[in-house]
Amino acid sequence: MSTFELYRRSRIGMCLTETLDEMVTNERLSPDLAIQVLMQFDRSMTDALENQVKSKVSIKGHLHTYRFCDNVWTFILKDATFKSEELNEPVKRVKIVACDSKLLSQ
Amino acid sequence: MATNVSAVYIQVVDDVISKIRDEFINFGAGESALAELQAMWEMKMMQAGAISGNIERPAPQKNVAPTPVHDLNVPYEGPIEEYETPTADMLFPPTPIQTPLPGTDSGMYNIPTGPSDYAPSPIADIRNSLDLKTGRPSPYMQPPSPWMNQRPLGVDVNVAYVDGRQETDRGSSQQAMTQDFFMNSSGKRKRDDYPSRLNPGGYLPQQDGSGDITIELPQNVVNQLHKGSPKHGQGSGTSKVIPDRGRPALLPQSDGVQDDYDDLFPFQGVATEDYNTPGDHVELRTPTPAVATPKPNKDEAEDDEPSLNEDDDDDDELDDDQDDDEPNTQHLVLALFDKVTRTKSRWKCTLKDGIMHLNNRDILFNKANGEFEF
Repeated sequence: MSTFELYRRSRIGMCLTETLDEMVTNERLSPDLAIQVLMQFDRSMTDALENQVKSKVSIKGHLHTYRFCDNVWTFILKDATFKSEELNEPVKRVKIVACDSKLLSQ
Repeated sequence: MATNVSAVYIQVVDDVISKIRDEFINFGAGESALAELQAMWEMKMMQAGAISGNIERPAPQKNVAPTPVHDLNVPYEGPIEEYETPTADMLFPPTPIQTPLPGTDSGMYNIPTGPSDYAPSPIADIRNSLDLKTGRPSPYMQPPSPWMNQRPLGVDVNVAYVDGRQETDRGSSQQAMTQDFFMNSSGKRKRDDYPSRLNPGGYLPQQDGSGDITIELPQNVVNQLHKGSPKHGQGSGTSKVIPDRGRPALLPQSDGVQDDYDDLFPFQGVATEDYNTPGDHVELRTPTPAVATPKPNKDEAEDDEPSLNEDDDDDDELDDDQDDDEPNTQHLVLALFDKVTRTKSRWKCTLKDGIMHLNNRDILFNKANGEFEF
């Protein structure tokens, strides 16, 4: 079963990756087990985002760069604003990485 | 809200840990490793500010004590005071604590993870540690003696290789001395496999590049030597070869550049560097075997690895032209897309199930609409 490894780049994913890396280096874990953990993290994170989060956000900004490669869209926005009910964040530069949701079922 | 994000993260952590428990047991890693993983993960997240200091767990876990040292069956013992160290606690208003907290995390684990901005971009650290792992089997670089026989350094050399070992065993003084020369001069482990190159003629053509002893021999000897070692670009006339006549009075220098290098090779600019091993000179002056160069390069590569972290703290403005080099610490949205469309220069996209990291905050969303102007 393939997973989206996208969320490993988030803070929680990077913390997990660091932790696993330290443990593998210290030989507390085998690398195979670490990979299993990461894959489980991918699944758990996807589930959590799907089921536990209910907020809607709108994004507006100037598109500086767009890229579509391997079914992954990468946008770089300049002077973007993120809005939602509880959120109004202007950012000068933001990168958006988006995988195809239709591939999720594969 | 940040608290909700924390709660979601905690649930993700719990979910992962509970589902991975069986794998841990099957792999033989054990509960203690699992507990250590969870504790370290949560601690890093707390330090990164991804979760708040108060961890509310919906269901109290029975025996997951964070420290492997403690008895796992003992319930949480962490006092509340230990939660005051994370900065997240000061930033977010603490919520009422419902369950005993595994506060021993910050107290027990003195794992130095660095400042808060370390977490978002630990790529280099991971890379370092990974490099350490991959760098360990450096002995694979060590060519066995038979391999070295194949290098085109002259027919005589090959013959010498085959017999080299045996000839050293003879224990003649000349060979013993020259053997030492090679061992000391190269300073590299793989050179140990290097048999003494003793031609039947009795002289020892040098193979590892710059010589360690510079002795001026009579010209006829020099000519012989040059015939035997065509690879040497050392220059004409001057002899940089190991003496075959065995000059015990001249001890080989093994600590780097020859003291009288400058006199003999005035054109060698690098000779003034005192602490270079002869191996380092090798690639500069002579066409050396390929095996010599990768090792110094590898060391240099490893030395350069930490310095590449400089980009992590660059400002946004400095990253304008580095679309591919920008660090992940900057504002980032990770999501899935449902649809991306464009009309002229107007782009629209619908995203879902995303994590946003903006202004050092994590925000999760279920749906997002984007409208961008290109």
